Amino acid sequence: MINLTIDGKTIDVQEGTTVLEAAEAAGVFIPTLCHHPQLTPYGGCRLCMVEVEGARTLQPSCTLPVTDGMVINTSTQKVLDARKFVLTLIFSERNHFCMYCQVSNGDCELQNRAYDEGMTHWDLQPNWQPFEVDASHPFMVLDKNRCILCRRCVRACGELVGNYTLGFEERGADSLLVADYNVPFGESSCISCGTCVQICPTGAIIDRQSAYQGRETDVDHHIGVCVECSVGCQRDVLTRDDRLIRIEGEWDAPLNHGLLCDQGRFIPLEEDRSRLLTPLVRKDGSLKAATCDEALQVAADGLAKETNLAALASTRLPAEELVLFKSLFAEGLKAELVTSLEEGSATASLAKLADKLGKPFEASLDLLKDTDAVLSLELDLVAEHQVAGFFVKRQLLDGTKLIVADNKKNLLAEKATTKLPLPAGEETAFLADLLTAIDSGSVDADLAKAAVSLKNAEKPCIVYGSAFASNADEKAIAILLELAEKLGAALIGVKGNANSAAAAQLGLEAPFKKNGYKAAFVLLSDEKPSQKLVKSLEDIPFVVALAAYGSQITGNADVVLPVTMWAEQSGTYLNLDGRLQKAVKAVDAPEGVLSAYETLLQLSEKLSFKPDLDWKEKLMERIPTVEIQQA
Amino acid sequence: MSKPKVASDWLCGCAGCHMSLLDIDERILQLVELVDLRSTPITDLKEPDEDGVTVGILEGGINNTYNEEVAKKMRERCKILVALGDCAVFGGIPAMRNFFGAEAALQRAYVDAESNDSEAKIPASVELAQMTHVRAVHEVVPVDVFIPGCPPDADVIFYALVELANGRIPEIKNDKLHWH
Repeated sequence: MINLTIDGKTIDVQEGTTVLEAAEAAGVFIPTLCHHPQLTPYGGCRLCMVEVEGARTLQPSCTLPVTDGMVINTSTQKVLDARKFVLTLIFSERNHFCMYCQVSNGDCELQNRAYDEGMTHWDLQPNWQPFEVDASHPFMVLDKNRCILCRRCVRACGELVGNYTLGFEERGADSLLVADYNVPFGESSCISCGTCVQICPTGAIIDRQSAYQGRETDVDHHIGVCVECSVGCQRDVLTRDDRLIRIEGEWDAPLNHGLLCDQGRFIPLEEDRSRLLTPLVRKDGSLKAATCDEALQVAADGLAKETNLAALASTRLPAEELVLFKSLFAEGLKAELVTSLEEGSATASLAKLADKLGKPFEASLDLLKDTDAVLSLELDLVAEHQVAGFFVKRQLLDGTKLIVADNKKNLLAEKATTKLPLPAGEETAFLADLLTAIDSGSVDADLAKAAVSLKNAEKPCIVYGSAFASNADEKAIAILLELAEKLGAALIGVKGNANSAAAAQLGLEAPFKKNGYKAAFVLLSDEKPSQKLVKSLEDIPFVVALAAYGSQITGNADVVLPVTMWAEQSGTYLNLDGRLQKAVKAVDAPEGVLSAYETLLQLSEKLSFKPDLDWKEKLMERIPTVEIQQA
Repeated sequence: MSKPKVASDWLCGCAGCHMSLLDIDERILQLVELVDLRSTPITDLKEPDEDGVTVGILEGGINNTYNEEVAKKMRERCKILVALGDCAVFGGIPAMRNFFGAEAALQRAYVDAESNDSEAKIPASVELAQMTHVRAVHEVVPVDVFIPGCPPDADVIFYALVELANGRIPEIKNDKLHWH
């Protein structure tokens, strides 16, 4: 432990702690701008200067490691003058006139720091040089006039996301934030994860969707799990007057620590499907508006008289609804098929292995954040489950080996150290070859290289997605397990939708094949139906659909009940590595629109069935592929 | 002791800061008890007393040679000069034109604007003040008290004037400090 004194307070901290961190621990506030807790200290803005007894000049506290017996003063006149001077230099460098800016009055760290220092004005004449405003990106605007050159965005893009799109060109006052080699932002290699817009301390990167819609003081926060995929990132849904404003990553979340992808941050606010607001019942060949009670009655009558019934539910739904759904259709209506819309493609084979082993065999996603070799099987973490991909991408410059085995178009493969062919259906042969190569080498140079990378790794990870899970047979999965044991590798199955894992726990994994079903119940929620699903339902004489948005399925259905979408419902989600997390309602549903849960309860009542609502118990009944951590 | 004299004027601004001053409402009666309100844009006297005033208040930035004269005269004739509002403190909205220049602004307003006809031209006369870069007041004459805001809150203006009337320099900080 290192002992030091900050503003008269003595404190013991670990070696390697910075003075800034020590001050925070001692309850002393030091203003910063370029610093961010998720980034490596940078020392760029010089706002955090402190006086160190015995040192000739002021020192930046963010990059200064503590030493034993250090005496720090953070608010001497010399320090206060330096802060004001640093702020004056920043203000006068570009167009930092708050009155022209979208983020001023609460959301701008530069303005807030100036207020803290009691700056009524700045003494230096401003530089009136105009810089470019780049509005070519669909979700963000780069206003380089507002940039304070702190490089938080650049560091976040590289250090956190591993995308290295943003950078700087030129030097000093001419320094310019650019995308790639100064191409328009919208045409750059940007993947629209939005980490830069979230981390920008000023109005230099503006979020198009929420610009001028409300500041921090005007909005309500709803912190919960993202429901766009099975990674399970924590996010904050910002609303104002019951309107969705913006989505931000939760910096404090242990899994994603602030990161989100475009699917979690921007796309949900770009919804352009037509919302269903009224129950519909097919009469004389066309869908007519009906009361909720009437629609439920028609649905109940139609479903009750058919034993040859298929029931499917979206894995975007909370566990509570999936349990109720299963109870009603499996026990209440004794439907022939009760499954999820994913039909277990991402989970069934793995869940069966867990059943067989009698214990979980997959590992925590945290292991993917600190690994020296990754084997990715038929999975493109650039295209899906992107935040897990960020964990991998950002380690590649540190020497982490990435082996991508896939025969499909795979964007992650562009970054791979070794690419291996893996034709769909050849999983067993591929894994057997790899196992042999690890034991005794291979004449195939790539396979040999991959084997060496994996064998030399101390903390290897093997990741696989739904394509592998649905293509691999029992034998392939057995070899996978053997491979993992031999290498000491962590197995991480990324699964599919936000609640794929919960659906797997409930055994909602049977395939939906054309089987002469006489009736179908489709709990679509806000999911976009696949063409395959549309086709599969076409021949079924009686279809009840619960959906938030209009689609071919609701158009063809016989009864349509409108339900809530993701932002209008709360519930529990089980992510890919066993974290049970809550999604939180952010806005009210349109009048008359119920959640799927309420609709299923009413349908149960019409059918005089008492469903089993103990979702937690049901979720724990089956041995999971990865240990479930109860929150 | 006679009451301190206060004079004000507006330069390149929108008069909003003076409107905000009037927003002190009935407290203006308290204020005239404390100070002798001399020349202002809203009183009949148009120039600060030749023998000087205690407090001079300027709203607006300085965007031409005429405003320079007014600012310099106010500075000469007052003991304490107050820059009132974001335009006086920073240059404000008019200073936006500094990014592209006065010529372009004139061209846009007098010639290119959709409402102008084909005979539109930029006014030119030796009688007219010459346009300059838009500057904060303190870029032209020394300023003693800065009250930013667009406009500054009436309560902040009242606080500052009462302090000045009582011979104290107002401290604009914390909840009184608010740029736009």
